[in-house]
Amino acid sequence: MPQADNASLTVSIWRGGQDGNFETYSVPNRQNQTVLDVVTHVQRHIDPTLSYRFACRVGMCGSCGMTVNGRPRWTCRTHVSKVAKDGKLQIAPLSNLPVIKDLAADMQPFFDKWQKAGGVFEPSKSRAEPVEPIRPNEPQRIAADAGIECINCGVCYAGCDTVRWNDDYLGPAALNRAWTLMNDLRDSAQKPRLAAVAANGGCHACHTHQSCQEYCPQSLNPTGSISLLKRLATKAYLKGELKP
Amino acid sequence: MTIERIETDILVLGSGGAGLFAALHAHDRDPSLTVTIATKGLLGKCGCTRMVQGGYNVALHNGDSIERHFMDTIEGGKWLPDQDLAWTLVSTAPERVRELENEVGCFFDRNADGSLHGKAFAGQTFDRTVHKGDLTGIEIINRLMEQVWKRRSIRKLEEHRAIAMIPDTSGKALSGILMIDIRTGKLRFVQARAVLMATGGGPTMYRYHTPSGDKSMDGLAMALRAGLPLRDMEMVQFHPTGLLAGPDTRMTGTVLEEGLRGAGGHLLDGAERRFMGDYDPKLERATRDVVSRSIYAEMKAGRTSPNGGVYIRMSHLGPDDVAKKFKGMVDRCRDCGFDLAGGLVEVVPTAHYFMGGLICLPDTSTDMPGLFVAGEDASGMHGANRLGGNGVANSTVFGGIAGDVMPAWIAANGGHRPPDEAAIAHEAERCTYPFGRKPGDVNRLRERLMDLMWDDVGVVRDAAGLARGLAGLDAIEAELMEIGVPDGDRAFNLTWHDWLNLRSLVETSRVIALAAARRTNSRGAHFRSDFPEPGDLETSTFTVVRQTGSDLTITDEPVQFTRVRPGESLLVQAVAAE
Repeated sequence: MPQADNASLTVSIWRGGQDGNFETYSVPNRQNQTVLDVVTHVQRHIDPTLSYRFACRVGMCGSCGMTVNGRPRWTCRTHVSKVAKDGKLQIAPLSNLPVIKDLAADMQPFFDKWQKAGGVFEPSKSRAEPVEPIRPNEPQRIAADAGIECINCGVCYAGCDTVRWNDDYLGPAALNRAWTLMNDLRDSAQKPRLAAVAANGGCHACHTHQSCQEYCPQSLNPTGSISLLKRLATKAYLKGELKP
Repeated sequence: MTIERIETDILVLGSGGAGLFAALHAHDRDPSLTVTIATKGLLGKCGCTRMVQGGYNVALHNGDSIERHFMDTIEGGKWLPDQDLAWTLVSTAPERVRELENEVGCFFDRNADGSLHGKAFAGQTFDRTVHKGDLTGIEIINRLMEQVWKRRSIRKLEEHRAIAMIPDTSGKALSGILMIDIRTGKLRFVQARAVLMATGGGPTMYRYHTPSGDKSMDGLAMALRAGLPLRDMEMVQFHPTGLLAGPDTRMTGTVLEEGLRGAGGHLLDGAERRFMGDYDPKLERATRDVVSRSIYAEMKAGRTSPNGGVYIRMSHLGPDDVAKKFKGMVDRCRDCGFDLAGGLVEVVPTAHYFMGGLICLPDTSTDMPGLFVAGEDASGMHGANRLGGNGVANSTVFGGIAGDVMPAWIAANGGHRPPDEAAIAHEAERCTYPFGRKPGDVNRLRERLMDLMWDDVGVVRDAAGLARGLAGLDAIEAELMEIGVPDGDRAFNLTWHDWLNLRSLVETSRVIALAAARRTNSRGAHFRSDFPEPGDLETSTFTVVRQTGSDLTITDEPVQFTRVRPGESLLVQAVAAE
């Protein structure tokens, strides 16, 4: 067993598919080092067969989410010094998603649910028309802006207990996106989207554990978005606009 | 080796702004066609459009004009752009931005009256850069990605890497693309009636570089092997302020935004002395190329910070204000262990964008029937320098055009063309080559390539360095061909892909060095210390490189001033006509 000291980190990394196991490596500890750098070191210098996913390396693409010491994180912007415990790191693929190989998870269910939540803009105008004037201080624009900078990294989805228990639950990111669209005055699909998020597995399934807002690397608050969706859905139901 | 075969009417390579727009437009123009989009990572989550911070240049505001945007683009490109391509770019951008807002769903920032906000960006005579905060690329790509997902008939090949263009049996037209399914490690030949190459450039062969880590110039390497002409290959844009965090972290090279200097940030040498006054009266607010060369000169003189760069300091502007105004940058630096608001952060010039690429017409067609090109793989729009904000405009404008043009081209040019089977077999062997060799250290060679390109083919060039660089590239290539990758599980085998990345990078690096040696003047991004003058504008030429067999030939082609000549302006003409 390598010694955990200033010179090295003891890193256990998930190897294989769904039924894989952790293997341990010793990685030099450096002053400027992210979790992605640790994983990269193992692939480049210790075991060339290690698989993982990354792209932009600066927190914009949301490709490099992994479970680090039990918690989902973006690895490209997670400094080792922030997460290593006694010189130890445990790195696994994101939870709540199928494993492709080693640290790479299959994000397809996450994207499918994004679409199921009506997470796409439905136009009401064409490119031939001028851009809709919308003042930056309108409450709906402010609400949309608050949730818009999601990078779809899947960290909230992987950290959500409700997703873990309920296969049908759409999850925080998808519902957060739906909420931003419910505040988009240009969008023409408000009713079907509200029906989609109010259905089984939608916003009412959220138990407000707040892990999503705690884990979101962009400091977004999906829990808040979901509670406002709940209110919107309940109001529509009471007005008879939404079937139970 | 079994190679799976699939057919599609249209194949789009890449899922940045160009690829996603092409898929959307092609699908919407003729939903009966099968459209397949293949991407090296996940759809919309790799490549560089997503990383756009600044915004989108468009002449949509009162007081601005297409002509003004055009003149800024031509002047910025030091009179090297293809004027018809540049005109297509600026004149199509307004419709594309309205489409992004009204149909795709991008929600750009507004002025107090609700109209689109345009911010100031370097090198432009009008504040025309439309944006969403400082994360414009995320907004554009997320919304495009959703629209592509929604069109369920668009077939997605994610984590698929294009490795070769396969000609048809006549050898004259394109039959399809050979790919590696990264997840399984198996080969797949995708036969298509029309192909758009939109893999993005990305000069990641430099020690310091900004583009996404998946980028390795595969598109241009394939085009070169197919015998297609590449232009402006010496034109590599360096951004002056990349984060410098040491050699062992992927953070190094990532960009710290232009606005830091614009807002009054200072650049300091290793002894914390402000040095830009030695180089340019505009100090830190000088243009990207000037600041990059100045920092490079400090580095050459050895006046460096601990990791071999210089410092950027923002704290004199008030740490709290800096933290508020540049939240994204301050957060990013903090996550990586640096205090941008209150302390000093080491920076270094970093390779950012590739102006060079495949020659094409304004309708995105190329010399090879069936092949279209858009985005950073295409060339001629920017000339010697790209304006900040013209990159995402370029990819979305021409990606959309390709999506409009390909269905009509297919209608006029018929069905699938049978592939040259020998070419498929040859390329299959080529990409699996490293499995037959004794495994070695691919990363060490890549480090050597990055140092060589930085030292000899980088910010400041001269004849001796370029000759040294060309010789060094041959040596690196020879060593690469001796290095293998362990053969076992080929599924999601990143080390195999690192090997292939390196081969593409070496091949394109050679073309950069060759073109840089050919241009004996200094224009825009290309600076020769032995030929520091820009040369006569009237007789401007651009370089064209072609590969025949294993030989590279290079020629100079005269720039055609089809709309405006050096010394003239379309703006003056517009005024005179009134």
